[in-house]
Amino acid sequence: MRAGDRPAVAIAGVGQAGPVAADSRSIPEMVLAAVEEALADAAIGFDGVEAVVTASVDLFDGLTASNVAITEVVGAVMRPETRIAGDGLCAAIHGACELRAGACETVLAVAHGKASMAPHWALTEWAMDPVFLQPLGIDFLVCAGLQACALAQGDGGATERWAELAARRAAAGDAAIAPPRSAAEILASPVLASPLRRGMAAPLGDGACAVVLRAAAGGPGEAPVRIAGAGWDLEPHSPGERDLARWHGLERACARAGLDRTDPGLELAEPSCLFAHEEELFRAAAGIGEEAPLSPGGGLFAGTAPHVAGLSRLIACARAIRDGAARRALAHGAWGPAGQAHAVAVLEAW
Amino acid sequence: MIVEGRVQIPFRYAAGAAASRFGAALRDERRILGARCTGCDRVLCPPGPFCGSCGGAAGAAVEVGPGATLLAWTELPDRGAFALVRLDGADGALAHRLVDVPEPRVGMRLRARFAPERGGDIRDIEGFGAEGIER
Ligand SMILES: [Zn+2]
Repeated sequence: MRAGDRPAVAIAGVGQAGPVAADSRSIPEMVLAAVEEALADAAIGFDGVEAVVTASVDLFDGLTASNVAITEVVGAVMRPETRIAGDGLCAAIHGACELRAGACETVLAVAHGKASMAPHWALTEWAMDPVFLQPLGIDFLVCAGLQACALAQGDGGATERWAELAARRAAAGDAAIAPPRSAAEILASPVLASPLRRGMAAPLGDGACAVVLRAAAGGPGEAPVRIAGAGWDLEPHSPGERDLARWHGLERACARAGLDRTDPGLELAEPSCLFAHEEELFRAAAGIGEEAPLSPGGGLFAGTAPHVAGLSRLIACARAIRDGAARRALAHGAWGPAGQAHAVAVLEAW
Repeated sequence: MIVEGRVQIPFRYAAGAAASRFGAALRDERRILGARCTGCDRVLCPPGPFCGSCGGAAGAAVEVGPGATLLAWTELPDRGAFALVRLDGADGALAHRLVDVPEPRVGMRLRARFAPERGGDIRDIEGFGAEGIER
C-alpha cells in the first residue's frame, strides 16, 4: 500500500489502557478506556466512527469469538466491524485499506490482550499444527528457543549481547510490569528456553490500544501524522520449513510498504520484539542500523500485551512525530511462532 | 472479582493422506516416510499435503532417516529438550524432541528412537538420540 491518488490516511487519535501486569478491569472495561481516550484525542464521539477493525485472538481470550465481548464498547453495533486474529497493527492497516478504498471516512482500530488470564506460553501450544507439532508439546516458547539457537550459531557472544540489550531496553521503559535488571542479573535469571533466559523476554501483561484513522487530504488543520506505507507478509508455519535465523517475512513486508532497505529517511523504529534476539532479526530484515533511534522508550520490554504490541508501536511512532522527535518512523507488529507473520507501517509528518 | 473457567475439549484431527501414510509406516514398520514435492522435487518430512516452499502437492513417498543431523536445539525447565533435525535424505527440517543427549552440539549426528508402543502418529518417534548409543 503506497501513497498515491487515493485518499491519504491520517492518524487522528490514539488511546491506550495499560499495559500492566494484571488489570482488575474486565476486557470490555479496558477496551472502553482506550477507545474513549482515542475518540477524545480525535475530538469525535462514537457517532463519528463509521467502521471498526478489531484485533484479538479467541485462544488467548478463552472465548470465541473474542470480538463479541467488545462489540458495544468499540461502537460496532449497527456498524461494519472486521475482526483480525493477528497483531493489532494489522487492524490499523486494514482500516487504512478501507479508507483508501473510499468505503468510509473514519475508522476505529482496536486491539486488546490480557495475558494475566491464563499461562500465555502454554496456550500457544494450541496455536500449533495439531498433527506434527502439538502432540510433541511444541509451543511458541520452544520455537523462540530454537530460533535463538539457530541465530547464535558460530556467535559466541550472542547471549551476553542479548542480556545487555534486554537490560538497556528494560531500563529505558517505565518498568510497568517488571523491574529493570542488569545484564549480569539477566544472564543469571532462570532458563526460559535455552539459550534464552527469563530476563531476555519482554514482560507480558494486560492492555488495550485504540487508534482513530481518518481519510484526509493533508494540509493546515489536518492531523499531523499520516500512514505513508504499510505491508504484511507470512512465513510457513512449521519451524522446520523456515530459515529461523532470518525474518524473511519482515523483509517482504517492508518491501510491500515501499521501504527501501537502506532508507535514509527513517528517524525512529519501533519494533515488536518479544525476545532480545528478535531485535537483531528485526534490524537485519528491515535494514535498520544504529543511525535511527530504536525503541527509545524500551519497546516491548517496558511491558506489553499479546497482539496489542504492534498497535502500541504505531501509537509510539505517532506520538514521537507529534512531539517533533521524528518526522518519519517505522512501526512493526509480529504474530505466530518465532515471528511467522509480520506487519509494518511507515508513519510520516504531513 | 475473578470468575474461574477451564477449557478441556477432546478433538479428533484428520491427519491427511501424506501424514496418514507417514503414521502407518512408523507404526507398522518403524520406517520414516517423507514425500517428494511435485513442484520443486524437495523431499518433505514431515509430509504435509503440500510443500511449504513452492506450494506444490506432496507426491511419492520417500524413505528418510532414521539418521539425522542436529540443526538447532533448546531445553526448557521441566519440559526436556526440543530439536530441529535434518533427516538423512530429506530437505527442510523436522521439529521433534531430543532424548538422552547430555551435551547437544549443532551438527552432531542423531538417530530416531522409535517408541515401543506405537499408535500411528509423530509420537511413534520418541525423539532423537545420539547416534551410536542404541537402547
Ligand atoms: Zn516444493
